[in-house]
Amino acid sequence: MEVSHSVKERTIAENSLVILLQGLHGHITTVDLRDESTATGRVTNVDAFMNVRLVEVTFTDRQGTVSRLDELFVTGRNVRYVHIPDEVDIRATIERQLQAIHRVRYFGGRDKGRKEFPRAKHK
Amino acid sequence: MVEEGGGGGAMSFLKRFPPPAEGVRHQQPDTEAVLAGRTLGAGTLYIAESRLSWLENSGVGFSLDYPTISLHAVSRDLNAYPWEHLYVMVNAKFEEEESKEAPMAEGEEEEDSDDDVEPIAEFRFVPSDKSALEAMFSAMCECQALHPDPDDEDSDNDYEGEEYDVEAHELEQGDIPTFYTYEEGLSHLTAEGQATLERLEGMLAQSVSSQYNMAGVRTEDSIREFEDGMEVDIAPVVAGQFEDAEVDH
Repeated sequence: MEVSHSVKERTIAENSLVILLQGLHGHITTVDLRDESTATGRVTNVDAFMNVRLVEVTFTDRQGTVSRLDELFVTGRNVRYVHIPDEVDIRATIERQLQAIHRVRYFGGRDKGRKEFPRAKHK
Repeated sequence: MVEEGGGGGAMSFLKRFPPPAEGVRHQQPDTEAVLAGRTLGAGTLYIAESRLSWLENSGVGFSLDYPTISLHAVSRDLNAYPWEHLYVMVNAKFEEEESKEAPMAEGEEEEDSDDDVEPIAEFRFVPSDKSALEAMFSAMCECQALHPDPDDEDSDNDYEGEEYDVEAHELEQGDIPTFYTYEEGLSHLTAEGQATLERLEGMLAQSVSSQYNMAGVRTEDSIREFEDGMEVDIAPVVAGQFEDAEVDH
């Protein structure tokens, strides 16, 4: 579970469903492109602009020709659909990603303080 | 319009221009460029932040703007194309000679008739040094990320989030980083700096664990990277010890 180092990207992600796609790192998924080709591979990165990076890709072009690509980067603009794999719990994924962002944001206080303390601290 | 082209036949989109001088993330000499199955010759590929350029050894070539690039990929599938290459799909039409007698790898000539659909041009950059493909691919990813889609109407990207405003205010210059992320910072340390970092981290881990007999062990999972470069262990920390510490940015 990685959170972008960019403040702007974190804010964009937090306010859109891109945050769900970012939770798909490591999952094999199919991306339908605007030109009707499709790419199925393992997600290695999705940024706030929905640029998707996949590895071990099976690419089917719009004519139906299938080929393998070691790595693929699709610009967000050209993504039509991203299939969410069945094994992914959508709600849990979104919550996990939001938590990761909030941990980054609220570190150090700013009136929020540390929330987690160990249960058995003084025995 | 320069009519000369090393690959035989006139490719009217080839022009003479100087190679990019700034923001070149990667440059790959001895790279063949192929458009829709037809070779344009051997030259140098320049992956620069502003645009992707290829210049044949004779000095003519072309550039592609990142917003027009739909996708790029590393292809090592020799059944699909006989040489390992960087594949780039562009949302534009490029004039090419009509000669369809040249054998094409995957029947791309059918695409010429699809003019009612979006125009698509397929470029392949075949470096003589195959091991460079990774670096070429990564450089292109980085440059593409610098050109987010300006016409994006679907997303509501007026990020007025609290975090964005506060941070932009604190760092005087918006997105320009004034401090390193963990990874960036690490690579800037000298050997001595690195040793110092390790010693300090060791001392910190030791002092906390010895005092309170902490169950948690610092692993990669429990370390989160933060924008201000501070590495924080999110495994349970002792209450009270650092509560009043100021986080210095």
